[in-house]
Amino acid sequence: MTDPPSDRAGSATAPMLDLLTGLMASAPKRCAYAEARHVATDSEGVLVRNGHVEQVDSDASGGIGVRVRVGGGWGFAATREATRAGAERALARALAIAESQPVAPAGPLAPVQPARGHWSCAHERDPFDVSLQDKLELLFAAEAALRGDPRIVRSDAACASRRVRSAFASTDGAACTQERLECGAAIAVIAVDGDELQVRSYPGAHEPSAACAGWEHVLEFDLVGHAPRVAAEAIELLTAPPCPSGRATVILGGEQLALQIHESIGHALELDRMLLDEAAYAGTSWVSPADLGTLRYGSEQLRITADATLPGGLGSFGWDDEGVAAARTELIDEGILRRALSDRQSAAAIGLERSGGCARADGFARQPIVRMTNVSIEPGDAGTLADLVADTGEGLYLETNRSWSIDDRRLHFQFATETAREIRGGELGRLLRNPSYAGVTPRFWRGLDAVCSASEWRLWGLANCGKGEPGQLMRVSHGTAPARFRDVQVGVA
Amino acid sequence: MAPSASGEDTLQTAQRVLALAGEDTQVTVIRERSLLSRFARSAPTQATAVDDTTVEVLVVRDGHTAVAATNRLDDDALRATARRAEDAALASARSGPGLHPGLAQPAPVRNHSGFDVETARLDPARAAAALREVFAAAAEHGVEAFGVWTAGAVRTAIASTTGLALDDEVTDTFMKVVCRDAGGRSGYAAGTAVAASALDAATLGRRAAAKVTGEPLAELGPGIYPVVLEPEAVGLLLEFLGMLALNGLAHAEGRGALSGRIGTPVAAQGIDLADAPRSERTLQRAFDFEGVPKASVALIQDGVAKGVVHDRRSAAVAGGAARSTGHAIAPGGSPWGPAPTNLVLAGGGAADVAELTAPIERGIYVTRLWYVNTVREKETLLTGMTRDGTFLVEDGEVTRPLRNVRFTDSVLRLLAATEALTSAQRLVSEGEFYGRRFAQGVVCPALRAGGFRVTGATE
Repeated sequence: MTDPPSDRAGSATAPMLDLLTGLMASAPKRCAYAEARHVATDSEGVLVRNGHVEQVDSDASGGIGVRVRVGGGWGFAATREATRAGAERALARALAIAESQPVAPAGPLAPVQPARGHWSCAHERDPFDVSLQDKLELLFAAEAALRGDPRIVRSDAACASRRVRSAFASTDGAACTQERLECGAAIAVIAVDGDELQVRSYPGAHEPSAACAGWEHVLEFDLVGHAPRVAAEAIELLTAPPCPSGRATVILGGEQLALQIHESIGHALELDRMLLDEAAYAGTSWVSPADLGTLRYGSEQLRITADATLPGGLGSFGWDDEGVAAARTELIDEGILRRALSDRQSAAAIGLERSGGCARADGFARQPIVRMTNVSIEPGDAGTLADLVADTGEGLYLETNRSWSIDDRRLHFQFATETAREIRGGELGRLLRNPSYAGVTPRFWRGLDAVCSASEWRLWGLANCGKGEPGQLMRVSHGTAPARFRDVQVGVA
Repeated sequence: MAPSASGEDTLQTAQRVLALAGEDTQVTVIRERSLLSRFARSAPTQATAVDDTTVEVLVVRDGHTAVAATNRLDDDALRATARRAEDAALASARSGPGLHPGLAQPAPVRNHSGFDVETARLDPARAAAALREVFAAAAEHGVEAFGVWTAGAVRTAIASTTGLALDDEVTDTFMKVVCRDAGGRSGYAAGTAVAASALDAATLGRRAAAKVTGEPLAELGPGIYPVVLEPEAVGLLLEFLGMLALNGLAHAEGRGALSGRIGTPVAAQGIDLADAPRSERTLQRAFDFEGVPKASVALIQDGVAKGVVHDRRSAAVAGGAARSTGHAIAPGGSPWGPAPTNLVLAGGGAADVAELTAPIERGIYVTRLWYVNTVREKETLLTGMTRDGTFLVEDGEVTRPLRNVRFTDSVLRLLAATEALTSAQRLVSEGEFYGRRFAQGVVCPALRAGGFRVTGATE
């Protein structure tokens, strides 16, 4: 469960919060707005490969990032020196940068209730309390269960843990602290036979299937139990018939649907993209602010939320990195676009009364930008995956992402998955290799005609969402249940 | 060694950490100072300054490596970091002997010209001036400018128990400009260099603006077309080739696209590709993250596959005569293998891109590619979109803007189908800077290739 915010600052971050609130109190009057964040991150990654420990990496780093606004110009400076003197130098540097900018429009920021208190995500067992020996024991067991066939040239078992403690203060009166704990694990194999190469992963391809949770999350995967199936499917794929080309009914498995939502809905609904702020890098959007409230994005089965209060979500928090309280927002209801993902500046730019609470930054050395939180499809009423397959007759069941690409307006996409299974007579059949599909966002989502029920719904963590300059990798989750799409172009690669 | 403008002696820091650590240890200290200014709609939007120092302690025990990192420089934190690495390596070693060949021995490294003292000052006034020049150029053409200007100074020191004591400082600068009209038509230009003074912002602005034309968009359906790729597009494809075919670890494991093909023709005869870290046209470095001097490596010569790049780890896996070529991208070598970071594709005989388009009856002219991703590794099969300047070529001339298309094609197939290259090359970069700043670019010409496979188009 996610703890509700409390009034008390976290003991580990309280001294830093004092430093930041003192800094904000001394921010010069010429500065229209200022904020300061201290972020301390501990991380560990362990990888067992082909019977050997391939990697044990750890990092314990932190620093302060100060963002200021002078007129319409922004400046941000980051330093590893987490001292009053270091923070003051960063503030001075941020001011100098903001003041040197060419003149920029000084639009308002959406108002915010000052963030106060402490938030943390709950967990049962701190992964940093689990010994490296115990982690290696689990990974060796899982990795050994992947090996056996000489065509498997690489077998991986990995786990990762991360703790982030942050403190935030602003000239708007914010003073809050947060602590999040994340961990995940995954197994994967690469099988090669001549020119044919196939990959198979579990529980997902986007390492390492993390959640805002403790070590219990890793144990739930049962990596050792799944390893023989993962290896066997990789070998079977080497000689499986290729996925046919044409148009077909497809059911997307949960992990692939998570990435489909991420790329063709989540990014498209970022308000900074709609306002062209990301036109030179991440891109724009096929959706405009004028579409909010009226645009048919998909079929009536399509209900999408952004929920930063979801327990276990990598996009969950108490407050975003502008001090806006976490919220659950309905983005698409019965196929109609309702709201966008926003921060204080973009929300104000289109006249919204409040930010969507989506300003997030990658560590202390990056400034907050509009990001997804946990953007999810709500469960439908199609029952279990077996029920949906039985109801489908003929089609393809596509599982586990292998390749992804979408244009800079989030319209034309092409995905490949690790596996496809034929659906014949309402049952899953033989495995097909190299499956792929393509589409155009609104037409694809209008083809959605069934979503599995809540019993099949779960969160999928993605830890590698790239955006921003300098680049920022954000961690988000997507809740999905397998869903069915009609008339999809398949076998495109 | 390149002079330092930072005032901080990273090598002394590395040696201080080494004194706190045990045997078989390498300490890498990296100080990044950088400034990046973004702009949109011909106005500044964000500006980021970073000053950070990372200490990475690599410990090797019985063939196992462990790395611990921190950016706290007090003795207590550094001692704790060293202990973390030591404990992790020992825990790994309990599983039996590992495959890592151990730390590098000292070897002479060469001076280079990859540092510019003026650029290292990271003057925000220089960024502001570049933005103003671009805004003016865009205004002259009645379009708006979007993009980024950035400069960085990165100093890297390595000290080890094997006697490594290395120190290197490099600078880089990058500017990209996307010009866009009210209808969403866009054009792109970018530059990258060691010295900020080498970038001409106004010229970049004018080049990007010139690609924005008001003519109606043409459309092309899926099919096979001759294509002219500008250097930005060529460079991105070559970076993928580096990951999929030129990575010594993938090659040794049989996963690489050139596995079993060294010594055989894999590209057109005119293709000469090397990793040339000593070339003054690239972003030079003296040594890699294992402290091994950067070596030049012939990768494809006259269309024949010649070799791949190695770090110490991949060379050990490959065995035989394989040695590190100085291409480690992490202390101890990355689990994902080494990478070429200074690719140079030789130019050809075409005087300019007009000569490349001249023989094409109906084809595509591509300024840059976007969201490229691997579909099938061994085939170097990629998919991606064109962006910010795609044009139809008709009867030998660039005639009309073209709706962006999706391609699904193999890099090696495109190199095999390459018919001509411009004599002029350009240093191109994506300039993305995720994580710790590590600037890299590709020196390459524009090229014409046959059979470019278009699998879709956007709307």
